[in-house]
Amino acid sequence: MPIGSSSPRVRPARSGQADAATMKQRGHRGGVHATARPTSRGARAERLAPYVLVAPAVLIIVGLRLWPLVLGVDFSFTGDGELNGTPVGASNYLELLGDPLFRTSLGNVGLLVLLLPIAVAIPGLLATFIYLRVPGHRVYRSVYFFPAVLSPVIVGAIFNLMLGFDGPVNAVLGAIGAGPVDWLGDPGIAMFTVVGVHVWATFGMALVVFLAGFSTLDASLLDAARVDGASLGRTIWHVIIPSLTRTIQFVFVTTMIGMLTSMFGLLFVMTGGGPEGSTYLPEYYIWHQQGQMNRPALASAASTVLFVVMLVVGLLQISVLRRAGRQD
Amino acid sequence: MHGLRLARWVAAVPMAALALATIYPLVFTVNVAMKTRRDYVLDRFSPAGSLRWDNLAEAWASAGMARYFVNSSVVVAVAVALLLLLGSMAGFALSRLRFRGSSVIFLGCLAGLFIPFQVIMVPLTRIMADTGLVDTYPGLILAYVAQFLPFTVFLMTSHYRTIPAEIVDAARIDGNTTYGVYRRIMLPLGVPALLSVGILDALFCWNDVLISLLVMPSPEHRTLMIGVNSLRGQYSDDIPTFASGVLIAAIPVLMIYLFLQRRIADGVTAGSTKG
Repeated sequence: MPIGSSSPRVRPARSGQADAATMKQRGHRGGVHATARPTSRGARAERLAPYVLVAPAVLIIVGLRLWPLVLGVDFSFTGDGELNGTPVGASNYLELLGDPLFRTSLGNVGLLVLLLPIAVAIPGLLATFIYLRVPGHRVYRSVYFFPAVLSPVIVGAIFNLMLGFDGPVNAVLGAIGAGPVDWLGDPGIAMFTVVGVHVWATFGMALVVFLAGFSTLDASLLDAARVDGASLGRTIWHVIIPSLTRTIQFVFVTTMIGMLTSMFGLLFVMTGGGPEGSTYLPEYYIWHQQGQMNRPALASAASTVLFVVMLVVGLLQISVLRRAGRQD
Repeated sequence: MHGLRLARWVAAVPMAALALATIYPLVFTVNVAMKTRRDYVLDRFSPAGSLRWDNLAEAWASAGMARYFVNSSVVVAVAVALLLLLGSMAGFALSRLRFRGSSVIFLGCLAGLFIPFQVIMVPLTRIMADTGLVDTYPGLILAYVAQFLPFTVFLMTSHYRTIPAEIVDAARIDGNTTYGVYRRIMLPLGVPALLSVGILDALFCWNDVLISLLVMPSPEHRTLMIGVNSLRGQYSDDIPTFASGVLIAAIPVLMIYLFLQRRIADGVTAGSTKG
């Protein structure tokens, strides 16, 4: 043992009997306490050790995540180009409101929120059947999860081939007599196509989370439901959903965050925001304004709006789901 | 539950169809990558017949995928090593050491978890430009570390909380300093969590598009994902070579998936059960 081997560090086991003197020196419970004689160098090193251990992580997180958030909000109230650095009040935000592209991107966020229950229900239902041991359930678990590890670029590239005008999807449609669909070229369809591909690529994540939730489910409740002769639908509604409130809440919030922040790759590869700007999402708008249009301050304003939207949607979901959970 | 057995069999049909829909796009891409250009134009659906590696070789060498592959590998390896080192250090301190400000620091890390990259990308790019880090390997590595560190710290902290405090105390009685406890006890005991988190961090970094697009603008610094996308324009009339490029970018991830599927799932679900 190096220097500073004084009594405070030698502590009785929690259950053991401690004499009063040791108790006094013990300070907080349950953790290692780094207070030895402040005069000795070793003791000082010990006292500083926790700070040394967290310092690099804290510096990076504060400097490159928390500070930029403040900087970005501040930045959104300044001008671009010649007005760089000068305060311009809320004019960036007013410009956003007037920009049809940004309005489209917010409208698409609304669409995503509306589609969210479907994106949660699909993996939830699949997890239920896997939990109920549908024939082949082990295989399904691994197969469904696999697209979740692929990059949006890979997924987008694969689906560019799949959804081409003479690609496999239209070939299948043709075989059953339906006309070819211009999946990515029709402004009324493209956004649904991209969301569909996103769900294809990510439902495995939510599925795995649901299955982890099921593993904590009390099996005796299901047995009781079976004895009572409850139908499958009633069992899902009255037993499974109430027991999984926390998991469902988690999946709702993470799926929403995923939809708002990890579709950039798909948009970048599949549509580039088009056709006619119909597939813009705020994240794509931010990237476009900053990188292509050289409007960083305007992009910052859009970032701030996106952050507020995410906060509001997230908190709203949690409160709605809490209330729904209480009624059961 | 009446008719449960029937419901199971009824559900098995759409579930099998969905499994097919999940697997087929990849099978189709592999098949296209094996075809000659002529075969592809004539009939894109028929099986390629034999395994041809020409397209893969073309994509690897002439299209520059080799360069992008090395770029990605270096950046991801260094970033993940740093993430695990810094994440386990902070996780140990935040879970098993008592010091003033520890709860504030933990909350700060948690807050970092909820700030998406899109929200801070403008100021972050500016900071990087001001410090000369744009278009450098250290810049991209730092950007990845910053992006995934809150997640890594959070998971390491919750893992270390499951290790009994008595073990740490015993190590101290044996004469270890705090650093000794970290190196001899916490690091080895953290290996299972480090593996799960490390694999997820590696996947996140490898698959990233937006960060590398912003931080590494010049063509010779492209990561693999940006490289794949650039093939699209270059090989728009040679789909088999393009499909080969896609495959090259996907192969490492598919390998990880095949061998370490359970660990990935563990990492994904850790937040839902412990959070």
